[in-house]
Amino acid sequence: MQITVNTPACVGAGQCVMAAGELFDQDDDGIVMLLEDSPDAAQQAGARRAASLCPARAIKIAE
Amino acid sequence: MTGSHSIVPDTDAAPKCPFHSPESVFEGSTPLVPSEALGALRDEAAAVPFLYSDAHQGWLVTRHSLGRAVLEDPRFSMYPRRMPLGPSGGHPLDIDDRAIHSVHDADLLSLDEPQHGKLRRTVLGRFSVRAVRGYQEAVQEIVRSQLVHLLEVGSPADLAAEFAQPISARTHCFVLGVPDDQVQKFISLFVDKSTSQQKWDFVREVIELRRDNLGDDVISDLLGSELTPTEIEGVLFVLMVSGRDSVAYMITTGTHILLSHPDQAALLRDDPALIQAAIEEFMRYGTMFVTLFPRTALEDVELENVLIRKGETVSVSPVAANRDERRFEDPDVFDVTRDSFGHLAFGHGQHGCVGQQLARLEIRTALGAILAEIPSLSLIEAEQSRPLPWASDLPTYEAGSLVVEWNAA
Repeated sequence: MQITVNTPACVGAGQCVMAAGELFDQDDDGIVMLLEDSPDAAQQAGARRAASLCPARAIKIAE
Repeated sequence: MTGSHSIVPDTDAAPKCPFHSPESVFEGSTPLVPSEALGALRDEAAAVPFLYSDAHQGWLVTRHSLGRAVLEDPRFSMYPRRMPLGPSGGHPLDIDDRAIHSVHDADLLSLDEPQHGKLRRTVLGRFSVRAVRGYQEAVQEIVRSQLVHLLEVGSPADLAAEFAQPISARTHCFVLGVPDDQVQKFISLFVDKSTSQQKWDFVREVIELRRDNLGDDVISDLLGSELTPTEIEGVLFVLMVSGRDSVAYMITTGTHILLSHPDQAALLRDDPALIQAAIEEFMRYGTMFVTLFPRTALEDVELENVLIRKGETVSVSPVAANRDERRFEDPDVFDVTRDSFGHLAFGHGQHGCVGQQLARLEIRTALGAILAEIPSLSLIEAEQSRPLPWASDLPTYEAGSLVVEWNAA
């Protein structure tokens, strides 16, 4: 699995950090930071959940 | 344009009003028990024709999936914003020219991209998950002191006025950077009644006070940004009037829900860690916004087999969407163990609530304190059990008073 984030689209709602805090954080301006772009098997459900909850559809996942 | 708006063609060809009016859809609705009409319309279609009270026609979106799709679609504009569901049909312009200029430049709730995003990004950093973690201690202290105050007032008491309202007002001031000695004035203007101009004057006064004494707060960030003075005032005005009453509403309504569902309250008391995720269920079940601000289609938009024509107005109903059985199983059951993430109580998309992480912290801390510290709390009367007038020009629920009693320790 490969995660990419579209930072210009990010609206800073923080849903991804709530869904998968080990994969996503927000920088000092509240914009998404990808901590890990290739999640291991145990983290993949969290990654999918973050992508589905993102209000800006700023998280893309390639399986 | 002049003339009456009441001219209706008196012919048989005139449609027999297939449109649903706010009165017919929302009548009888209360925070814990949405109107039956709203549920019936959701069963009928994902979006139903809607006759706004200023007589123009549009759509009411009732189902979760379509609501979400509309809210994240940039083909819908927030401008020109219509607020046709209110009691009065608009306000006189009782603010000065500078304030009108600020509304024009910086009303986050009626702007589209790129201006909206430019303004929003100046304050995002203060509302991130990480930033809000930094407010935890301060919010705990505010909640603790308001709990002491509530206990001092003594049983019975109105929990909305003595606990919920002050928590949200004080936290609002803390995060925005309203100086401590101005908090009472903030409450008298923004919680109690005042004119719009008095609020704008206060916004400008507070900015001047902060300018000489910058801190770690929203106002200081705005002053250090590239925004123009009228943009700064406009953004701060929106932040001062938004979120404060809705957090107070949710603490009040959340307590009402707890006291009406003792089995669920017991689960949360037995396992306090549950409340972290359960806040989403409180938000879903007790949603404040019957509809969000209307959107206008900038072009013909087809979503989920619904065609919304260019220029038509669309109102998404979070209350209806959050009780949609297609998204949430047994939606009328309050269940703190369910996965309620993805609800639309904070809105969704680019205009979704900017302060939602802060709101979660406040509501979680306040409800957690009630569960842990006043186990004997019980309900005498919740004003919101019967339909109340809307809280604003938008159809949003009023918290109302929540009279509770408890056994003194």
